[in-house]
Amino acid sequence: MSKLLIDVGSTYVKVCQKSGISQYFRDFKKDIYDDLVTKCGDIFSKYAKEDIFICSSANGGLSTLIIGLTNSFSLKFAQNIAFNSGINIIDTVLYSKIEESKYPAELVDVVIVVGGIDGIGNVFDKRLLDYLQNIRYSNIVYVGTSQDAGFLSMHIPALKVLGNIITPKLHINEGELKEYLTNLYQADIVGKEDIKHLYALTANQIYSTPYVVNRSLSQIDANFDVVNPFIVIDIGGATTDIHYSHDLVRDNIVSESGYDRLVFKKLGVYKSRETLIFAAKNNEFVYELLAYLHVTENILEEESEKALRILMQLSIFLVLYKVSRLNPQYVTLHLELLETIVLTGGITKVLVFEEVEAIIGFFYKKVMNIHSIPNIVMDFDYAIWTIGMEDNEPKEQKCL
Amino acid sequence: MMKVVTGVVGNDIHVVANRLIDISLQARGFEVFNLGVNTSLEEFIDAAVETDADILLISSLNGEAEGWCRDLQFLRSEYALKDVTFVIGGNLAVGEAKQSDLAPKYKSYGFDLVFHQVDLNTGLDEIERYMSERS
Repeated sequence: MSKLLIDVGSTYVKVCQKSGISQYFRDFKKDIYDDLVTKCGDIFSKYAKEDIFICSSANGGLSTLIIGLTNSFSLKFAQNIAFNSGINIIDTVLYSKIEESKYPAELVDVVIVVGGIDGIGNVFDKRLLDYLQNIRYSNIVYVGTSQDAGFLSMHIPALKVLGNIITPKLHINEGELKEYLTNLYQADIVGKEDIKHLYALTANQIYSTPYVVNRSLSQIDANFDVVNPFIVIDIGGATTDIHYSHDLVRDNIVSESGYDRLVFKKLGVYKSRETLIFAAKNNEFVYELLAYLHVTENILEEESEKALRILMQLSIFLVLYKVSRLNPQYVTLHLELLETIVLTGGITKVLVFEEVEAIIGFFYKKVMNIHSIPNIVMDFDYAIWTIGMEDNEPKEQKCL
Repeated sequence: MMKVVTGVVGNDIHVVANRLIDISLQARGFEVFNLGVNTSLEEFIDAAVETDADILLISSLNGEAEGWCRDLQFLRSEYALKDVTFVIGGNLAVGEAKQSDLAPKYKSYGFDLVFHQVDLNTGLDEIERYMSERS
């Protein structure tokens, strides 16, 4: 019996059978299980649960509500860390106005409470506790003054207390909160209620798509015209991930996937258009880049196919920028050594090769000061995730 | 130890004066949170809230302060900042102006102490005297 491979994305569901890959646009009015059964019920009926393999990046990214003491420090720092961790901010509450603030209607994945430098106390009081009683949340983390941690821990069940994100000199301290949010995101993808329902379809473990893509990397040169060292950029409807050859880093980074030579590194989520535009507007090269593409910044506010293409091009640039030596916040890749850039995900359905080539050319010329660019490979058929999914099974069972 | 938030307000990059104020305050035993040059009024207020500061000392050298500080009362009202002493000093007007004319104006904006073209150490002496009387 053949295997059926399913990748549940935020905008498309990809279904791979022996006969080829087909994709279906998600119906957001239905939950994922109902949507899948409606569209692919006939296909599922042909396979045993043991032969169906599912991975998902759907609903990637968490939602957060940030409660902070001031706009210029608490809220600004927490927002920056949340964006950098791929978290979607649904609202912020200025603590001095908490009694007048609206309660979010939906379930919040994580509430972040922040305020004050270490050394000051009694920043938070009963008003915070009253507010929290009126909202629904899955996780809550406190990253404010250490003096208030005891009081809050005593009154807020399951409160996670981390180091203050505001240093004694009013600078930002990203470390602990960023790591916490990133880990929460990873755990969330495979634990979403929507995704759990899919176990009715499969008897196998459901993995996150980034994990599956990472598994395929060791075989990618056998399937594509790829020369090492290479990176794989997966830009979809919800998430942007980058996978890279370990040859490109000189840091001693441990691989999360357990595979030699290659490391998966998530950079962040562009679940919403606003998040991408936020990142773009904060980039020093963006206006020069828009001029290079013969558009103005007004394109970022437009809802058109051209605007989508520009945003996609921007996202390629931002991903490369984030791993370049200009941005030490993330792992720094030696992009001057890069031989191949592989693009996969929804972006390959939007952009043509020349548009990708133009943006990568701009990046190498302006940021790297190099006039030649790596070889570009576009995975138009989502073939990379099928390699990773197949790799879950012993080779003799492979049917695709 | 008293906490002071200081910096230069508005589109003003007189960093030397800012450093001198920082050093002088530290020498007098204050804990200083220096926001540097080009600081908005909201950032000053927010820094005072985050640090639970005793004094907010705004400096302005290029005469722009008046335009930037008119909203002080409004921003103060956003938080409960009753115990913070608000001080402004430097060159507080464009062209010729007298301390006796400017002080009432800035006090109406919400400042407790106003120093127009007053020597730094004289101004800091006055702040210490004021704080000591207040306590």
